[in-house]
Amino acid sequence: MILTGKEIHREVESGNIVIDPFNQKNINPNSYNFRLSNQLKVYTAPTLDTKMKNEVASIDIDETGFILEPRTLYLASTIEIMGSEFYIPTYAARSSVARLGMFINLSACLGDIGFIGNWTIQLYSINRVKIYAGMNIGQIMFWCPKGRINLYNGKYQGAVGAIESRIQFDTRK
Amino acid sequence: MILTGSEIIRNQNSGTIIIEPFDERFVEPNSYGFHLKNELKIYQNEIIHVDQYNESETIIIEEDGFLLEPGRFYLGSTVETIGSYNHTCLLYSRFSTSLCGIFIQTSAPVGHVGAIIPWTLEIVVAHPVIVYPGMLIGKISFWENKGVVELYNGKYKESKSVTTSLLFLET
Repeated sequence: MILTGKEIHREVESGNIVIDPFNQKNINPNSYNFRLSNQLKVYTAPTLDTKMKNEVASIDIDETGFILEPRTLYLASTIEIMGSEFYIPTYAARSSVARLGMFINLSACLGDIGFIGNWTIQLYSINRVKIYAGMNIGQIMFWCPKGRINLYNGKYQGAVGAIESRIQFDTRK
Repeated sequence: MILTGSEIIRNQNSGTIIIEPFDERFVEPNSYGFHLKNELKIYQNEIIHVDQYNESETIIIEEDGFLLEPGRFYLGSTVETIGSYNHTCLLYSRFSTSLCGIFIQTSAPVGHVGAIIPWTLEIVVAHPVIVYPGMLIGKISFWENKGVVELYNGKYKESKSVTTSLLFLET
């Protein structure tokens, strides 16, 4: 089962869902619209290696906006701290954003129950698109879990701002 | 409802969910992390036909890794055979994988109830990236069904590894 907007609102007020800052205007029928922060990161190496730390450079989105180049990966962050210890989050682009030719995640829409922090989004555009800090870029949804809950305690817990991949720390077989 | 990690373990133990090989270290709060098999396939012809078998080339990912390039399309496979007799599966890229610019499927995330196979992954990358055999690449979630369950009996049910599209069998 997926929570309706009214239920998301109720659970934010009861503390079972964290969305901070929270604005009632951003509630949808069954999701909440989150906003784009003003900092992007891009990988600087021509080739990424999933066994290594990959260096990034930061880009600030100023008042005049920033043009995303096509087929280029940018890491960005939500303004909001979001998560829940009671519901499983998924996130997606807003339909209006997707219609401009933008992805905000690369088939990785499922979050973990218990993760609470800024969400790093993976901006990838098919077209040249000018974006602005503070725009409503994506939506988060909350689903009911079945079974005993073990909260997320992984390497991105409490994330602040856009975070480059920590894949080099993954357990290997 | 989505199964929590402990519920995935419970169902794996009872035989309702199959994850083979299974290792509790890869149980996540609400999913199971799967690994990339050492085999990729790339379609060989410039034009891909929806109504014909498409030839593909097989690539083995060696221990020192394989460079995936943007603008190309790779089929990969999970190491694990995964499925459920009573749940619907959804496959995702892991957060760490996606942050490296790797899509592991392209808008076809649903695994049918009763399909118990190594899953073919549709891999596209946003940035050149080196991948390794056996790396954690994606995660699978299990969802409760509503309604009478009819187990999957489709054309991929005998999949053993990377399987190219069998769409032509429908025409």
